[in-house]
This record gives sequence, structure tokens and C-alpha cells, in this order.
Amino acid sequence: MAGKVAVVGLKFACAPDLKTTRERLVFELTRGLFDELGIDRHEVDTFIMCSNDFIDGRTISTVFLDAPSGAYLKDETKVEMDGLNALIYGWMRILSGQYDTALVVSLGLTGSQASPYLNIQYSLSPTYERQVGLLNELAGAALQARSYLSRSGYSEELLDLVAAKDLQLAAKNPRQGRRLEAVDVDKVRSSDYYYEPLRELHCYPRTDVGCVVLLASEKKAAELTEKPVWILGAGNSIETYFYGERDLSRSPSAAEATRRACSLAGISDPSKEIDFAEVSALFAHQEPLLAESMSLIPEGEAEKAYRDGITGPGGSMPINPSGGSLGGHTVCAGGLLRLCEAVLQIRGEAGPVQLEKAGTALVHGQDGLCAQQNAVLILGA
Amino acid sequence: MEEVKLEFFNPTVPLDFQYNNRVGPGIQKLLDGFAERKIYGSKCPSCGKVVVPPRTICGACNAKMEGFVEVAQEGTLRNFTVGHVYLEKGQLKKAESPYVLGLVELDGVDSLFLARISGVEPSGVKEGMRVKAVWKDQVQGDYADLDHFRPA
Amino acid sequence: MRNVGIVGVGYCPQFVSKRKDVSIPEMISEAVDAAFADSGLGPQDIDAIVFGNMHTFEGVNLPHLWSVEHIRALGKPVMRIATGGTTGMTAFHAGYYHIASGLHDVVMVVTFEKHSEGDAQVGLLGIITPEAVAMMMAGIDLTGEGGMGAQGGGSAGAITYQAVSWMHKSGATIDHIDAIAAMERRNAAKNPYAHLKDPEATAEKIAKTPMISYPVRYGHVCPTTDGATVCILASEEKAAKIADKVAWVWGVASCASDPTTGNLIEGLITDPAEQMQCVIAAREAYKRAGIEDPKREIDYVEIYNGFAHQTLMYLELVGMCEVGEAHKLLEQGELEITGRLPVNASGGVVSTNAIGTSALNRVTECALQIMGKAGERQVEKEVHKALAHGWGGLMQYASITILADKPKKL
Repeated sequence: MAGKVAVVGLKFACAPDLKTTRERLVFELTRGLFDELGIDRHEVDTFIMCSNDFIDGRTISTVFLDAPSGAYLKDETKVEMDGLNALIYGWMRILSGQYDTALVVSLGLTGSQASPYLNIQYSLSPTYERQVGLLNELAGAALQARSYLSRSGYSEELLDLVAAKDLQLAAKNPRQGRRLEAVDVDKVRSSDYYYEPLRELHCYPRTDVGCVVLLASEKKAAELTEKPVWILGAGNSIETYFYGERDLSRSPSAAEATRRACSLAGISDPSKEIDFAEVSALFAHQEPLLAESMSLIPEGEAEKAYRDGITGPGGSMPINPSGGSLGGHTVCAGGLLRLCEAVLQIRGEAGPVQLEKAGTALVHGQDGLCAQQNAVLILGA
Repeated sequence: MEEVKLEFFNPTVPLDFQYNNRVGPGIQKLLDGFAERKIYGSKCPSCGKVVVPPRTICGACNAKMEGFVEVAQEGTLRNFTVGHVYLEKGQLKKAESPYVLGLVELDGVDSLFLARISGVEPSGVKEGMRVKAVWKDQVQGDYADLDHFRPA
Repeated sequence: MRNVGIVGVGYCPQFVSKRKDVSIPEMISEAVDAAFADSGLGPQDIDAIVFGNMHTFEGVNLPHLWSVEHIRALGKPVMRIATGGTTGMTAFHAGYYHIASGLHDVVMVVTFEKHSEGDAQVGLLGIITPEAVAMMMAGIDLTGEGGMGAQGGGSAGAITYQAVSWMHKSGATIDHIDAIAAMERRNAAKNPYAHLKDPEATAEKIAKTPMISYPVRYGHVCPTTDGATVCILASEEKAAKIADKVAWVWGVASCASDPTTGNLIEGLITDPAEQMQCVIAAREAYKRAGIEDPKREIDYVEIYNGFAHQTLMYLELVGMCEVGEAHKLLEQGELEITGRLPVNASGGVVSTNAIGTSALNRVTECALQIMGKAGERQVEKEVHKALAHGWGGLMQYASITILADKPKKL
């Protein structure tokens, strides 16, 4: 496999309401990034757009975003999934040797413009699940949570511990969307039930996000930044759609995606060789569930790991030091938010939530109900 | 340069489109069965698993699931959640009263069947309970014919 | 850098107006089975899948999630591409890069559209619906001078401007558009996977169809079709073991311009017949393919022609002939299956249009011609190199793929 590819620049915005239009958001992010790096749009060889038509409320929703992104009369395409997959595509294009730079442009205005739950709703079969009308993103997640707690023998309190940790970190992180004051397990536990055992503060908030990430080949990276963050490996995997046939207590596709990514990165034991992880856990239970499936924590030891602070910023396997998806998440741009936070950590630019040891990271993104499909990247300094 | 004050116009644009999706042979059989108060599934000729609702491909085996099997209407509750909200056009709304959704392992079926669990207080629902299907008084070959499951 | 070749093509058994007998995943699985049969491969041989379609036509978000089992993708990497009309080709390009990157060896590209399940105009108008509705709510008059989109409805409205501008530049007349439409409907009759077939189509018959908005007649316009197309790609080492006949990818390119017809306030910014992005994409594809004289080196062309005039217009824009020459070649019979520059022997998009598949079908039809597997529609001349073209969106996307009968020297 030819050469290496690095993240050389990024810019993102994350808030409950960005009070902007899609075009303006994308323009300000790309223009801002180009100005910071001292480049113009002609130094970008290919543009990978990433947004969701149903959430944007338009067919081919990036038609009006190409020009504001700088893609006018340039090579452009669109991946319509979690943004980590758009990044993987950019990575592939550079690895092919035909491009030196790729800009991933992604957004989802599910705070102010559209309900994020529509993403899953419209992905359900129009000839069965949607007609029966019982399954939705929240109910599905709740059943997954119960299945996980039941099989593992963990208490519901684990959900509160995870949520409190994430929301406290998000409160410290100026880049996050949901920053609550004085949040602790009691405050989490006092929020209303959605579908038991999931409460409001166990679930990701409605957020507006825009995010652009610039990738460059090894030779070009040196011109653009002093702190390139390298893509060491990536993987993607998918499970069956049929909800009743899945083992909801685990994520076999997250495990497979991790195996593939680690194999490319030359990592044999993630729990030892990964310094920290940014995981798209949309619901509190998904963080330990995914962490176990991705071999960051041994299966069966998650509750202990959270109680002992192993997954906190001072522990040996910090998970979501940024506050994670419970601090802000949207379709498409969600996984890229996690990636950006991981890149900032590795560059030593994470500010109030900076970890001491941040050399190698695992970044994760998901698509579909209860993470039916998962993408994993390994990043390194 | 002078600072320009931006004012945004924020309309709500209602988009209402109608679709006419074909159900295909699998779901057609399910609905035909409902008209007779029967539940049908498919069986994979390769791995032998029985799934409801019926479909035509077993992806794991790359095998066609031809022919349908009638399955039991009683089973064991394997998982459930008590819902305090519901989603309407993507908007979160508070439910009038808590309701139970459960995953039922129908006897002899390998896939779990999602259904409403009624006829018992939410606090009385337990994993491992035996439950049975309850049909509407009038069935029409429609998804709503199979109304809920109640303790057996 | 790696060479990538097409080793298998699969179409669902019929491309028709309404497939009432199957659901979406079931229809897609037919094309997957056909591709496996064509290539002799099975699911265990596929490393990754790329999936493309335009989902507002069916109202299903991320349909690859629902169709996982039907596309035999359990456990595998699946990437979804959605770029409007060019989706079939951009999904193909993604499949190409999966392999050219060195990360995968055998990749399956799956595309489909089931127009009968929705309203095609909804899918097309949906590109601008929120903008249009918001503007109307703000009191902006969309039907005045600038209101181009309101004329003729949907994409047919904007297309009239393109056709008229091209006719003016090239000297072609509406008779030529009638003639090319007829030629393609006759070609379609030789293609078991085409939708609108008429072995006895003539320019006169097309000229009798109702006028939608000059110069676009009903007979010039593509149908809406239900169908699925699957294409299997492999790296050079693997391709040799899989297939005797391979169509090799020599160059791919895409380019995006501004959304011409979406600017409802100011009217046109760009002449929709200029299609600068197509010129740029073609230039880039030729450069990558090492082709310096396309007119001499390309033997066969498949043009994405949602509207009949586009075959002639794009033939000029991709440099296969001079501006003003395409309709003359048509008059001379050179564009026919028996001619010196055969185009759209498949019948083109004007005969078959399941949008998600349409741009991929241009590639697969070129591949079949190169591999000599095009059956009754196989062109007379030997095809060593072929060019596939796609356009989409508000006429501002373009994609080009160049195929050849042997691997490129790297």
C-alpha cells in the first residue's frame, strides 16, 4: 500500500443552534481553514461531500454546497453515511496516487433544522417496520441497553456513570454543543425516562454541526502543517438489518471494523497499544458496549472500569475525553466530530480536556439503528 | 469594512410526499396470513433458521428461502422496554401513559418478534414471561391485525 | 497505482415501468445474482461493496442498511455514494478507488432505482423544493422572468434552454433530435435490458409525439424505470484468474459546476449547454488514460442522455467530434451500430432510466462492447477503447470513465 496519508487541517462548529444557513456554514468553515493553512481551493485536489438528503430536506443535498466549499469546477463526490466513511474515501483517493489532497466537507443541522430521529425512521423498511410503527431510534436503543445490561450483569447505574463522565467533560470542552452546569449522576438520574432504561441525559442531544477535514499525502503534508496526524488504518463492517436477529448486547460489526483497522495499523492488542478513543456512542450504554466489542476494555469488566476511572481522563483507557456524542452529535458529521477531537488531542491542542498521553487514537463512527454499521480509524502522531 | 448585520428568514417548509412501496412476496405472505389470524415465517434451507417476517434471502448462507412456514403464536418474552415517549414525524412527544414494547421469541422461531405487550402493568412485565398473540376482532390482511401480545 | 478491471456485469432480468412483484431489496438481489453468474464469483469472493441510488425516489434512507442480506454484504465494508444522476458512475469510481488504493482486491458496485414506488417529479424537484417554497413564503415571485424552473416542470423545464442553446451553437435542428431519439429506440430493441424499445422507430414517428416545450418533445424524453445493475471490479492480479475477458479502467474523472438552474432569483448564470464541468472531466480522464487524440483512439461511446439532444451535444463536449459535427455524423449514419463512431447501442438513457443505475449502465455497456458480450447490440467495428459519460443534478455534475481491452502500462 503506497505511502501514508495525514490529517493536516480541520475546522468545525458544534452548537444546539448555529443560527446559520447550510451554505454560509460550509463557506465559513472551508474559507476559514484555507486562510489558516495559507492555501486556496486550488490546492485541494478532490472534495468529498457528506450530508444526508432526508435530514437536509433536499435531493442531492450538496448541490448548493459545492460552490461555497470551493469545489466549483473541481473534482467532487458525495458519500452519504457517517463522515468517517467520507474520510476513508478521501484516504483511498490519495492512496491511489492520483491525488495529493482531499477535503471532506460534512454537516448536519439536526439542532435547528430537522429532527435527527428522522435519519433512522426513514432508514426503516417502508414495508414492515414503518407500517407496524413500533420501532424507532430511541426504542431500539433502549432494547439494546437492556440486552447489554442483562447479558453483562451490569446495573442501570452504569448508564448514569457514563453519562455523568461524558457530560462533565463536555461542560469543560468549549468546542462541545451540550455543556451543562453541575452535572453529576444525580442530575442524570433525575432526567425523564424516554424508553426505560434510557433517560434524556443518557441520549445524544439535538445539535447543529459543520465540519471540514483536509487530508494530504506524505509529501504534501509537510508543506501544510508541522503536526500531521497519520491515518494508520481503517475498517468498516455491517450487521444484518433484521433487528430481531441481532445480538443487541454486543457489536460484532464494531469488532470486525476494529480488527480490520488494527490489522492495517499493525496493532495486535488495542487495550495496550491505543492511548485513547473517541467513540460515537449515541446513548450512554453504547460507550461501554462498543468499548468492549472494540477490545479496548475486556468483556465483562466495563462497569468496574467506569467505577475505577479507567475510562476517565486520568485512567489508562480514556474514552471520549472530549465528552463524546452525548455532548453533541449529528448524522454524517458526527463521526468527524470525534475524529477532530482525537486529532486535537494528538496535536496537544485539546485545551481544557487535553490528555497527558495522546499518541495513538481509535476513532469510531456509526450508521443505522443501534450501530448496525460501524467505521473505525486508527490515528497516530 | 462595515460590519453587516445578518437577519435570517426562518420558514418552516412542510414536505409531504407519498410513496407506494411494493411489499414483495415475503411480506405479502405475512399479510395474507394475518387475514387468517396466522403468522408465517421463512426457513433457510441451509442453516435451518426460521425468521419472521418471511423474506426470500438468507444473507449469511447466500441461500434462497423459498416456501413459507406457519409458526406458533405463543412464545417467551426475551427483552422489553417501557416507553414514556413516542415519536411523531420525528418529534418527541410524551405518551399519555407508559406502554411496553417487547421482543418475543415465538416457539420454534429464531428471530425475535417486536410487539406491544399489553394486559399487564408495565411494572409486572418480566423477562422470561410466556406471552401469546392477540388479534383484532376484525382482521383485514393488514399490519395492524396482530394487535399485541399478552401474558399467556 | 494499480490496474482495475471489470470482471462481471449483472442486470436484473427486466427494466420496466413497474416491478410490482418484488420489494426493493428483492429486485436488487436479482442483479447481484446475475453478476455472480456472469463472473463465476460468490459472496465469499467479494471484499467490499459500494452502493448507490437516489433515495428520494423511493423514500428509503440509506437503503443499503435494509438490503444488507440481499446484497450478501454481511460483515463487509459497505460504502454509500449518492450524487444524483451520476450516482451509478460515481459509485463505480468509488469501487475503482477501493481497489486502486491497494486496500481491496475485488469490489462489487450495486446500483438501483425503483421509480414506480414514488413520484419521479418529487425526486427531481426535491433538489430545490425547500429553497423554492421558502422563497415563495418570503414573497418572491418565482414565475416572472427569472422563474425558469417553473416552466415545463422539473428538469424538463431547464432542459429546453440547454437544447435551444446547443442547437444555436451547433447548427443542428429539431429534426436531428427526432432522428437520434429514433436511432436509440431502434437500438434499444436489440437490448434485452432496455425499457422503451421500438425496432421501427423513425424520426417522423418521434416528431408526431406531443411537444412539451420547444424543442423538447415527449418522444425525446427518458422514461422512469425500475431496475438494478451490479458490476464487479477486480485488481489486475485477481482479474486474470476470474475472467477471460476483462474491460480495464484507464481513467476516471468527475467535475462539478454551479447549480445552473437553481438560481431562481437571477435566472441563468451559466449557459446550460456550455457544460464546462464535462469538458474538464473529459480532459482529466483522457490525461489519466494517456489518450491524446480521442477521436482516433476511442472506438465506442455511451452518453448519458436523459433527453435525446444530449447524445449529440455531449459527443461534441467530450471531444469525440467538433461542435457542429455530431448531427452531420448522425446524418451520415456513422453513429449507428454499423457506423464508424457507434454511440448508445444500448439505447441510452432515453430508452432506459432507473436513475441510480443509469450512469453505471453507460460503463457496463461500454464494458460489454469491449468484452464482445453485447449480443445483438454488439457494434460492427472492433472496440478497443470506450468512453462512458454521465451527468446529473441541476445539470452541473459530470463524470467520465474510459475503458480499454487491455491493462494500462503503469
